[in-house]
Amino acid sequence: MDDHHQENLKELFARFFDAEQAESYVEDVHQAERIFHEHPAPEPDAMLIANLKANIAISLDSRRVKRFRRRLYEVAGIAAAIVILAIASVQLLEKSDLPPENDVYTASLLPTVIWESDDIAADDADLAIFTAEVEQIEYEIHTLQSGEELIDSEGPVTELEMELEEINDEFWKG
Amino acid sequence: MAQDDDLDRILIGCKKGRGECFSQIIDIYASRCYGYFYRLTGNHDISDELLSELFVKLVEKIKSYKGGSFESWLFKIAANLFHDYLRGKQRRKKLHEAHREQVEAQIIEPKRSDDEQVDKLQKQLKKLDSDTKELIVLRYFSQLSFKEIARIRSEPIGTTLAKTHRGLHKLRQLMEG
Repeated sequence: MDDHHQENLKELFARFFDAEQAESYVEDVHQAERIFHEHPAPEPDAMLIANLKANIAISLDSRRVKRFRRRLYEVAGIAAAIVILAIASVQLLEKSDLPPENDVYTASLLPTVIWESDDIAADDADLAIFTAEVEQIEYEIHTLQSGEELIDSEGPVTELEMELEEINDEFWKG
Repeated sequence: MAQDDDLDRILIGCKKGRGECFSQIIDIYASRCYGYFYRLTGNHDISDELLSELFVKLVEKIKSYKGGSFESWLFKIAANLFHDYLRGKQRRKKLHEAHREQVEAQIIEPKRSDDEQVDKLQKQLKKLDSDTKELIVLRYFSQLSFKEIARIRSEPIGTTLAKTHRGLHKLRQLMEG
């Protein structure tokens, strides 16, 4: 037990003390080591060593069991979380596939194009004829009010009455 | 003593929690560690207790060993355990100050009578101051270099060398006288 990692004692002591002192100190170290060597310390009891080994083995086993149990709990926790998430996801997907129960769908009777168009006469032929006749009547009323006479007419009032009757008939016929 | 490669392999096994590797460590170091504790305390029972505590600590702390000199790491734990034991002894002394003589006798005297078996070296070591005795015993049983011992003791290497030399010189005189 005097190896001490092949330490160069003389060189080491020489760094701190003069050469003569260093040599004497190294000699003291070697002498002391010899004394220790000649007076060996008692050995530990064999029973103590056997007990130590047995206790360590038991302690390692119980640690292993604890560690295994902890891992098991962790894995079970993760698995439970995954199952819950999977169930929740499936339920959400199923709900999103079904149409909403309380929603009412309505559709317009007229094409959207007509509602949005500014040129009504161009969109519907009947409406165009009707519009033309209204314009004609407006023109004739305007003429009557201004006192002018219509060319080739039996009389303005008679003619107006006839036209109104005609429009009325056509309107109710549809 | 185990070769460095063997020791590395054993220590890897210890880190993996293999009981047989701890048993190997005990086989390699129990004798030296026991000698260290015995030369410091002069008592078999206390040395038994400290040795058991040392290997329990080894199992608990082996994962914190990050390489380097294993002896240095192990004997640092051993030195700390011995200091804890000394502190406990001091506390017990204070608690029982009223019955000082009686209690001191119980603490200082070995639980198991070793007096008859104590060798000359043990008797002379008792005459050294505690710090010097610790240094000399650590040096011999740990087989650490002075540099490593200085690091364990957190003191400059020059201080370690001077203390060691004074102690060894005195021990030599006592043994030859």
